Amino acid sequence: MPDVNLTIDGHKIAVPAGTLIVEAAKTVGIEIPVFCYHHKLDPVGACRLCLVDFTPGPPRPQTACTTPVSEGMVVRTQSAMAVAARADILEFELANHPLDCPVCDKGGECPLQDFTFRHGYPTSRIDGPRLHFKKPIPLSDKIALDRERCVLCYRCTRYYDEVAWEQELTTDERGVKSFITSQFDQPLQSIFSGNIIDLCPVGALTSRVWRFESRPWDMTHTETVCSRCSVGCSVTQWERRGQLVRVTSHENDDIDEGWICDRGRFDYTDVNDPSRLRMPSIRGKRSTWADAIGAVAAGIKGKGAKLGVSLPQDLTNEEAFLFRRLLDGPLKGAKVKMHGRTAIPAPEGDTMRIKEIDDASVIVVVASDLENDVPIIDLRVKKAVSKRGAKLIVVHPDGVDFDRNPHTVHIRNAKGAAAAEVRKLASHESLQNPGGPVAILFGDGHGSEDMNELATACGDLAEKVGGKEMPLYRATNERGALAAGVAGWDKLDGVEALFSWGPPPTAGIPSSAKFVAAWDHLPRDGYQEAVVLPAATFAERQGSYTNVEGTVQFLRPPIALRPPLKEGWEVLCELGAALGVSLDYAGIVPIQREMSLQAPDPSPEPMPVLIGPAHP
Amino acid sequence: MSALSAHVLEEIKELPSKYPQPRSAVMPALDLAQEELGHLTPEAMSEVAVALELDPGYVEGVATFYSLFHLEPVGKHRFYVCTNLSCMLRGANEIVDRLKQSIGVTQPNQVSPDLLFSYEEVECLGACEFAPMMRLDHKYHYDLTPETINDVVAQLRKTGLLPTRGEVAPPHSSGGGPQGRRGSAGGEIQAPKKPRATRKKKADG
Amino acid sequence: MAELRGSYGDQPNHILTRWFGTPDLHKLDVYSGKPGGYTALRKALLDMAPADITNEVKTSGLRGRGGAGFATGIKWGFINRDAPGPKYVVVNADESEPGTAKDRYILENSPHMVVEGILIAAYAVGANQAWVYIRGEYDEPYRMLTEAIEEARAKGYVGPQPMGKDFALDIRLYRGHGAYICGEETALLESLEGKRAQPRSRPPFPAVKGAWGRPTLLNNVETLATVPWIINNGGATYAKLGTAKSPGTRLLTVSGNVRKPGVYEVENGKTFRHVIMELAGGPPEGRKLKVFWPGGSSAPVLPESMLDVTTDAEALAAARSMAGSGGVIVMDDTHCVVRAAHRLLKFYAYESCGKCTPCRIGGDWAVRTYERILANEGSQVELDTLQRVSDGLQNGRCLCGLGDSAGWVIDSTLRHFREEYEDHALRHECNVGAVTANA
Repeated sequence: MPDVNLTIDGHKIAVPAGTLIVEAAKTVGIEIPVFCYHHKLDPVGACRLCLVDFTPGPPRPQTACTTPVSEGMVVRTQSAMAVAARADILEFELANHPLDCPVCDKGGECPLQDFTFRHGYPTSRIDGPRLHFKKPIPLSDKIALDRERCVLCYRCTRYYDEVAWEQELTTDERGVKSFITSQFDQPLQSIFSGNIIDLCPVGALTSRVWRFESRPWDMTHTETVCSRCSVGCSVTQWERRGQLVRVTSHENDDIDEGWICDRGRFDYTDVNDPSRLRMPSIRGKRSTWADAIGAVAAGIKGKGAKLGVSLPQDLTNEEAFLFRRLLDGPLKGAKVKMHGRTAIPAPEGDTMRIKEIDDASVIVVVASDLENDVPIIDLRVKKAVSKRGAKLIVVHPDGVDFDRNPHTVHIRNAKGAAAAEVRKLASHESLQNPGGPVAILFGDGHGSEDMNELATACGDLAEKVGGKEMPLYRATNERGALAAGVAGWDKLDGVEALFSWGPPPTAGIPSSAKFVAAWDHLPRDGYQEAVVLPAATFAERQGSYTNVEGTVQFLRPPIALRPPLKEGWEVLCELGAALGVSLDYAGIVPIQREMSLQAPDPSPEPMPVLIGPAHP
Repeated sequence: MSALSAHVLEEIKELPSKYPQPRSAVMPALDLAQEELGHLTPEAMSEVAVALELDPGYVEGVATFYSLFHLEPVGKHRFYVCTNLSCMLRGANEIVDRLKQSIGVTQPNQVSPDLLFSYEEVECLGACEFAPMMRLDHKYHYDLTPETINDVVAQLRKTGLLPTRGEVAPPHSSGGGPQGRRGSAGGEIQAPKKPRATRKKKADG
Repeated sequence: MAELRGSYGDQPNHILTRWFGTPDLHKLDVYSGKPGGYTALRKALLDMAPADITNEVKTSGLRGRGGAGFATGIKWGFINRDAPGPKYVVVNADESEPGTAKDRYILENSPHMVVEGILIAAYAVGANQAWVYIRGEYDEPYRMLTEAIEEARAKGYVGPQPMGKDFALDIRLYRGHGAYICGEETALLESLEGKRAQPRSRPPFPAVKGAWGRPTLLNNVETLATVPWIINNGGATYAKLGTAKSPGTRLLTVSGNVRKPGVYEVENGKTFRHVIMELAGGPPEGRKLKVFWPGGSSAPVLPESMLDVTTDAEALAAARSMAGSGGVIVMDDTHCVVRAAHRLLKFYAYESCGKCTPCRIGGDWAVRTYERILANEGSQVELDTLQRVSDGLQNGRCLCGLGDSAGWVIDSTLRHFREEYEDHALRHECNVGAVTANA
């Protein structure tokens, strides 16, 4: 788009046509305060905090969040009119605000606090009683609403409507009685609910998981990658006194656009579990690392197909690389089962990138309920449909959340017959002249589909309509494990020895297993007779994941690993030594270096080097 | 057992096609529900939502916005007495006082002990040349005096039958305070008590 | 038929109300039997090009009668008649401005005049479908308008080929459910679309993106009811009535403390002294007029000393008020300005949609401040707070006009009756009757 020239507070700038004044101001570092405006939501002009003064224009302050720039416009954010208007709005926002900052979780990272300092009247002119409401109101077991703090910017309800396509969070009543509520006071059910906490510009929506835990300035925060599924959203993990106390989103437009799902946001308390395993043990008796590793090696060595290995969904690429060496050697022939992996075969070459969904004219989703399988990709598809009018075709036997859009074409296939439906799609009217790229996202129907057939059908369709494919791997590092050749999908029935890495196999520890080695971070039933190695969690671990689209992302552990816990790669090296394989690495970086040397198709860019923990 | 009768739900399902976009049917649909039940219960709103393929929360948001939707039980006859300026200047407040006395309630939205009456004070009804005035059920009454209020109430008592609606609640109060017309959850954080509403997802067959 | 209080009968300068009072005027054959009845529609459809109709309305200088007073013909011209796809005419019959009853007066007396005006407007802007958004409490007007439309449909005026013209016209009704904010045009559209009635941020304007996202013309009942006369008699004839910038007549609802409250058709430019003291008979015996709202409760008040201000928009603007909806509320010296302002602020707070901050918070804040003053708990602080809230509600702070209106009530009553406020707030007494307006 052509650039438009304008002046903001004396700065002459050129920005693309259509840019809103509030965004144009950011380019020269000028803050126009906002509550209702959010760069990922449609502007509404509700809170009126962004009032500025511009010419040519009416002789009244106007909202910078709804006004696009125009050629020759002169914007003044500091005219007496604009300054007074914003101060007045802040005064209104504070008129009923409880001013309970000392006990408010938002204190310290609160735009209402910050804006009041920077744009409000220097002294309070508010005199008289404030309105009071019942509070806090539980919106779910994860989120609490404080009506007195709410400034009714409607970010949360607009997000629910525009981004998540949900209506369970609404505004009731009108005028000063208006309030945000979950429908009929029933708990929010959406997997995307937690984002409203990040969106809330005041302390109205707070996490009940983190409630009254700590202050923002009490915590160190680390930008890292979520370990809960294959999407690999960027997150910020907040540590205090060696505990992981909060997870928030961290915008990465290539992958998550600033949204994370509730699994990634709230599902972390196991890191802080007081019963965490910290010491190795052999049949219930505490032991040294050396003894325990020796016992494991003795129990699993040379068992061939009588050995079963259960892999966690979030093993790192580095761990997979080392484990492959064991599988090629002393553990050759073992049956391997990776938690949560799909039946989708390893990709042949590059696959479609998540951000490419934005450009698709037609999106075909096959054999996957994105909302549950890869939640944040679900939001990306919704955006393409609602903001850009992409057509959506779903092939799935059951109802999915895309059905909330009446224009969604939902083909309900019989279980196992998705491939047949995909073959018919080539003649679908939407795909005759798609008018742009076609995105084909396919899952495995949770095991119900014949993946050879379905992958071929999707490939054929892609070829016919000029589309790109995205196989929807589910397990966190499924793609990395596939590349390393360790992502097994074997049945573990009948094995005599079990190496259970991570949580126990979904089907339970096979009763046939006479020897069990468990490498886990929590004690579980069945570990009393096992050799147990304590494991680090995602919050302590180094390494990298390859996400669903093939991007390699590195973990930055927010919590320093405290001995006697050991890094996964270190345990694998020691186990290798006990099994007679020389895995002699001084740290994770040499492992990564060797991995990049061995990569079959070395990336033209040098492999990024792991960034260490945020603090020693 | 649904709150709304089958024929009302059928009628509601036919509404969306009458508008350029189906969402416009939400208020006419709530009208039908309110006509049948007297006021809108969460169950009724949920059923309207299902019938219109909307979310219960959306319907709730709309219903609580507009003052003509009743979210609490009302009397068989509803008085809407204008107390805005034009009527106030001509004695509307005395009309309200007399009405309260006459129907035996102490505050707006309270249902009289005989379940026949409730009232609310409303904003300008657009018949200012006849002030003070009120709307009683679906009819305007003009040039009110305390005496005419007595007459109207007496007349209704004489001819009025007891409510035929299935659901009648004991007299109770609401409205007024900042909690709004709808009793909202609050207080201590606690597990919500009501059953879950159907989240709108096309039924799985 | 309800008793007529106000203008009716064949008198000079009665444009809208000329045949009011005729028995059964709401019937199509009676309306058609009167000079001008449905002749304008025939003329518009068969003898005029759509652009000519719009030009005729432009020539008339007719200004919207809903409250904002925008030039009607120009508004019609904003609709691109040739744009593909549906277009709509939406009629604002959500009359809710306190002290205003004129749309009800028209709808109950001569619904066909409104139907005719709607059909002409729809044809002029190329809309096949008109929607009348009528306030939910208007049971009788709803019934009468429904009957009128059905009569017109039976006659073929509403239908696929009105009067033989190959341009389908249809009118449907949509009932409001109790929300003053729906008088604001974008809030009305939201409501028509089945949503919470919260005004939209503009642009886009309804002429481009209105009802259901389509180009939409929004007009008030009285505005459209005037259109048949303009088409019958010519825009230039209409423009000769009233003042140069506010031509024509309009219906003023005179209510409150007057002997003959009613809806009076008044040529623009007459004084309020004429309207209140002559037409409406002035205050009751033994009382003095103290203050009046010249254009609904949203129009800033004028004290008795300003009775000679004229009813046209320009004169009212010069007096720091506005013509608004034509609702003239008269208060005499037995009533207290502070109490009146408190009542109106309660109205604005109750009717605030809650979307924008100043209106949502400010109205309620003002109400609670008034309550303290009226409970004899006031002081200079309360007076300052009122002024501050009033300033914060006006001057472009709010998303729509509702907040400004609330501010004007405070601002204008404070300006003209400061002494009465100070009696309450500082001296904790009410000297109703003894207080006159500030000079």
